[in-house]
Amino acid sequence: MESVKDQLVINSNETSQEKLNELIVDAAKKGIKEVVIKHPQARHNLGVGITDPIHLVYEGDVGYYACSMSDHISAEVHGNAGWAIGENLMSGEIVVEGNAASSTAASMRGGTVVVKGSSGARTGIGLKGGTLIIGGNVGYMTGFMMQKGKMIICGNAGKALGDSMYAGTIYIAGDIAELGNGAEIVDLPKAEYEEIKHTLESYGMKAPASFKKIVCNGLLHNFNKKEFGVWKTVL
Amino acid sequence: MENSTIRKSKVWSPEKIDEIQEKAELGRYRIRGQATKRQDLPSFDDLVFTPAGLSRVALEGYREKCDTRVVIGEGRVKRPLVLETPIMVAGMSFGAINSNAKKALGIAATRCGISTCTGDGGMHPVEREASEKLVYQLLPSRYGLNPYDLKRADAVEIVVSQGAKPGTGGTLLGQKVSEEVANMRDLPLGVDQRSPCRHPDWMGPDDLGVKIDQIRIATNYEVPIFIKIGAGRVYDDTKLAAKAGADAIVIDGMEGGTAASPEIQLDHTGIPTIAAVVEAAEALHEIGMKDEIKLIIGGGISNGADAAKAIALGADVVYIGTAMLVALNCNKSIYVEDYKALGTEPSACHHCHTGKCPVGIATQDPALMARLDPDEAADRVENYMNSLTMEMQIFARSCGKSRVVDLDPTDLRSLTWNTSMITGVPIVGMGTTRNPYWADYHHATGQHEFVAK
Ligand SMILES: Cc1cc2nc3c(=O)[nH]c(=O)nc-3n(C[C@H](O)[C@H](O)[C@H](O)COP(=O)(O)O)c2cc1C
Ligand code: SF4
Repeated sequence: MESVKDQLVINSNETSQEKLNELIVDAAKKGIKEVVIKHPQARHNLGVGITDPIHLVYEGDVGYYACSMSDHISAEVHGNAGWAIGENLMSGEIVVEGNAASSTAASMRGGTVVVKGSSGARTGIGLKGGTLIIGGNVGYMTGFMMQKGKMIICGNAGKALGDSMYAGTIYIAGDIAELGNGAEIVDLPKAEYEEIKHTLESYGMKAPASFKKIVCNGLLHNFNKKEFGVWKTVL
Repeated sequence: MENSTIRKSKVWSPEKIDEIQEKAELGRYRIRGQATKRQDLPSFDDLVFTPAGLSRVALEGYREKCDTRVVIGEGRVKRPLVLETPIMVAGMSFGAINSNAKKALGIAATRCGISTCTGDGGMHPVEREASEKLVYQLLPSRYGLNPYDLKRADAVEIVVSQGAKPGTGGTLLGQKVSEEVANMRDLPLGVDQRSPCRHPDWMGPDDLGVKIDQIRIATNYEVPIFIKIGAGRVYDDTKLAAKAGADAIVIDGMEGGTAASPEIQLDHTGIPTIAAVVEAAEALHEIGMKDEIKLIIGGGISNGADAAKAIALGADVVYIGTAMLVALNCNKSIYVEDYKALGTEPSACHHCHTGKCPVGIATQDPALMARLDPDEAADRVENYMNSLTMEMQIFARSCGKSRVVDLDPTDLRSLTWNTSMITGVPIVGMGTTRNPYWADYHHATGQHEFVAK
């Protein structure tokens, strides 16, 4: 471990999970601007529950729950991410250069999570705010029970996309294996396309030529026996 | 006249007929609050204590010290949860009940040195202020969850399921999703909220272990972590929860209360509390963790006898929801006209799901809420909690135990075969434990020989 002015470098190889988190939390408290985590080796829970501003640089793959349950943080992952990166993030920005596993940004409440590659099942599940950007494809049940926020998917989606979403918006460029119950495709205003394009470009990503916009159709908001066709699969 | 006798059918009882006709109107299953109304479940009433006599000496009835304290997470976390008496107020969401009810429960629990629990829907500031020891629930819905409240909690409870409705998530009908509730949960105003039952970020027990590590780190290894499971496959679930790293396991029997659930699920899922406690205790005992991991049992606990029997069967603490609401005034015979307007009457009300609670507990309507004065209600709940403690001590002392937690299965006898089979507690009388003196009577060589002996 070496400390250079505004930067702390931690070798994850030589540091326990508990100690590593303690060092990050401490660094953030002391106002150190950046922590570099060397050899993260896909270990779980690297950088959890951090509530003071700090920039984290992971020099490799991370396991479950990296940058989760945190506020005001920013992070770059130079590798792939395991389950639930950015879970319950309150604010800040996480950029994953590779792919992410399942439950990416589950229940995120604010901030931005960017996965340049693809992301697995339950991507953006229970999203409660913020923006989730996926450069590639997403898996089964993406956006399930989404409540607020925005998801931009540049590739294709698996089955049950946006199933039972309460609110929020999903933009998707590729194919949808099956749209979820209670979700519907609506027209995409040009201004919104421009905004998506601008957002993607700000992360060095090229915007696909078109997007479909998916919102909640409201049929599942309050039970209606006349709409049993929709309700029978969800009650 | 032929067939003129009015005969009631067991199959087509008035309740069954009502149920069918109501569903024919509703177009869905029935939803309601409270708990199962089945009359045929084995219960703690089937057990009795066998107090001290000559074979064992009782403690001095109303005087001798009888300890009730329980510590959860001792030797496992930096800030274990100390309960002055083995009772916890079960999680009841802000949304299901209102802030006046939360405040009253918090004040009473603080005075008695025990905890309350947020339930679903996030940590309400009124409850955090009123309750010195507050358990923070982490549910599949994750409503209102944030790292700040997590760090402010005195314990964290990961909810897998509830006894009333294992296998489904929370339900809060639109009439209760007020502006404040909607904001706290990030939901559109007035939606019928039907929450997920699976957590968004873990699936099985191995993932749960990683999740527990995450919460430990986020809370700086300070507070205990519980796992709450509706009683079903209790024996296996308890072992898996222990392996995942829980400091305490909450098992909620099928009699557990709720603010809203499909009625069919209340009646037909899960196993009774009395069976659940035995399975859970056995599982912990088998893996040698009975002392280290605390067992919290809920579901239909109404008095000190239920609580003491649950403890004798292996629980460390009892979890109480419905009875606390009853102490607040639930089902009390006041505002009777309003019960009638709901189609019910005091003592039969299960209408928490309507949001029109006549006594101002399970409602967000300001006019109804005004019927519950939190300070007066806190006194009632405190008195009720104290009565539970005293009742538990009565049984411990009379069984010759100086600590309530020392009650054990040998202090009990069963009144029914059913409960004896379920719990392993011998039936009253000589039962299977020893042959009675007349056991040979029928196959003795002759009655007179028997008499001559
Ligand atoms: C009004 C009400 C609301 C409840 N809300 C929750 C909840 O939000 N989360 C939860 O895990 N259990 C909830 N429960 C279940 C209780 O935590 C507890 O398991 C149950 O009440 C125990 O059974 P008892 O009511 O017979 O004491 C609720 C129960 C009631 C009565
Ligand atoms: S009185 Fe209120 S709290 Fe009690 S069952 Fe009725 S609605 Fe629910």
